[in-house]
Amino acid sequence: MTNVNAVVFTIVLVLFVIVTVVGFGASRWRRPPVMAHLNEWGLAGRGFGTFITWFLLGGDLYTAYTFIAVPALVFGSGSIGFFAVSYSIMAFPVAFIFLPRLWSICRVHNWVTPGDFIRGRYGSRGLALAMAFTGILSLMPYIALQLVGINAVLTVMGVGTSSTNTYVKDLPLFIAFVVLAIFTYVSGLRAPAAIAFIKDTLIYVFVLVAVFYIPTRLGGWGHIFGVAQTHLAAINPATKAPNGTFIPTSKSIGSTQFDFASLALGSAMALFLYPHVITGTLAAKRRRIINRNLALLPAYSVLLCLIALFGYMAIADPVTAANVKKAGNTQLAVPYLFQHMFPSWFTGIAFAGIVIGALVPAAIMAIAAANLFTRNIFKEFFKPDASPALETRMSQWASLVVKFGALLFAVELPHTFAINLQLLGGVWIMQVGPMLVGGLYTRWFHRWALLTGWAAGMIYGTIAAYNVKNATASHWASSSDIVFGHSVYIGFTAIIINIVIAVVLTLILRATKVPEGTDETLPHQYTADPEQAPAPVPAGVGARLDG
Amino acid sequence: MNTPSATPSAPRGPENTANSRTKNQVAAHPITSAAIFVLVAAAILCTLIVPIYARITPKIGDFPFFYFYLLIYMPAVSIALGVAALLQRRLAPPADDGRSGGEAEVAP
Repeated sequence: MTNVNAVVFTIVLVLFVIVTVVGFGASRWRRPPVMAHLNEWGLAGRGFGTFITWFLLGGDLYTAYTFIAVPALVFGSGSIGFFAVSYSIMAFPVAFIFLPRLWSICRVHNWVTPGDFIRGRYGSRGLALAMAFTGILSLMPYIALQLVGINAVLTVMGVGTSSTNTYVKDLPLFIAFVVLAIFTYVSGLRAPAAIAFIKDTLIYVFVLVAVFYIPTRLGGWGHIFGVAQTHLAAINPATKAPNGTFIPTSKSIGSTQFDFASLALGSAMALFLYPHVITGTLAAKRRRIINRNLALLPAYSVLLCLIALFGYMAIADPVTAANVKKAGNTQLAVPYLFQHMFPSWFTGIAFAGIVIGALVPAAIMAIAAANLFTRNIFKEFFKPDASPALETRMSQWASLVVKFGALLFAVELPHTFAINLQLLGGVWIMQVGPMLVGGLYTRWFHRWALLTGWAAGMIYGTIAAYNVKNATASHWASSSDIVFGHSVYIGFTAIIINIVIAVVLTLILRATKVPEGTDETLPHQYTADPEQAPAPVPAGVGARLDG
Repeated sequence: MNTPSATPSAPRGPENTANSRTKNQVAAHPITSAAIFVLVAAAILCTLIVPIYARITPKIGDFPFFYFYLLIYMPAVSIALGVAALLQRRLAPPADDGRSGGEAEVAP
């Protein structure tokens, strides 16, 4: 450990210890008579009100990686990075359309995962398996990226031994993750819900302070925007093109406006399809809490817009810009900016906010992936008579496996690989849109048509993303592709292929009267708002379904 | 396994009445329904159509228009969705909704 600032390190350590205590203590929060039930471990009793849901979903949607990657993209490419702001705005009206219906139907039937809904709606184990597979596949790199976020902070802090052995070098990361894995195992969804309070308080404080304080050090917003504009317009000697765009362009340099809009819309549609976000939603007590939260959550997007502007601050601060250039990693832009701008005690708070900001979503993602595995793979295909207690134990172990899988991922593979996979994760998870969102409104789609459309979207998306090249990379260069002369988000093209195939095959399969499977849902259940979860503990999901 | 939890015990009657009632409510409040639709659609479209705001001028303070627009757009969406949520409660009164929900049918 060289060049570690003692003050920064102590503050991060103290806050981490507090979070650990809260994480373990959370198991006693709203303690149910029986904890060994997925409604309790996996959904914290399905009883969260507006306030807690706001923190939980906020902690879910705005991850540490967001705080690192969005400013990094803005630092590197300019305005295109602001697609994240546009998308995080758009996500809420998009979710407003379908999320309350998903809540209602899952509440009435006591379903825990989106796979449960697909299973019940289409009577198809295969389609539910496709949902579970896609969910787990897209969550793994997402969790790994949280570690990349922690790592960026630890790198700038100078924590980590100089050993060449990756496992020794990343020891602090390992410790943080082991602690996270254990308290998730013990407390389930209650842990990230409780920690989300601390996380968001820290992040709101450091972002607001930074937004008002840093511009005074850098000569005001006018200067920051001015430097950024000049820098982005300058020609990069390596690529013979401008460094980036200050405002999305419609002109000859390549229309970035279409790219911007399709990236934003695609990501917005993907956001609320991610199983961890659905887990956060299903933990809410009443239907109106979902609606109310979708109106309240954009407050976080204001924060995201301010965070994205950190990218320009980093450009405008010569010391930070030089540091990032020397390290050759744009992801260090925000940590270096804070380190240079703030006194060490405040840097400590900001860094702790980012580290804790990684733990909350990582825990929820692991729980969501574990529930998908337990409900739609383990119970469905291996142990149909699993009791609620066995289901919970299975999920607890699965959450550990998922986390250590992600850890290996983050340590063993190059970071760029994790980022590419996460971009792909967005493309992948979008492909469950037709079955999930479509299924909430209509039973018209045929289950096999949806499955074929899903497979086509997955395959096209993966191959297309692999084939994108640019001046510096031969594969995985970006998540946009050229279609009909426009640069378009690959997920967007893939979902259109997916839907077209699903529609055409549905017409054919319906004409030939192929069995459609039984539908367990009734129309009015999609708008229901039961006050009590239907099956009180301990008479649970599994027991009743098997009876 | 996984036998339908609700269907067997659910009486067919309430389904039909509940369903037609939902439809009636949309039909009974055409203006409210349309207002919700417009609010949600506008919230999506005003950020989806990038040319509306992809410009540097007019500058608001030191902020180029593009960045200022994105910054103030979020409170605007917040208000739009808040109003939509309120309007929706007028469409389907929550108390009524709760009783017609799955509660009665699936309770053991």
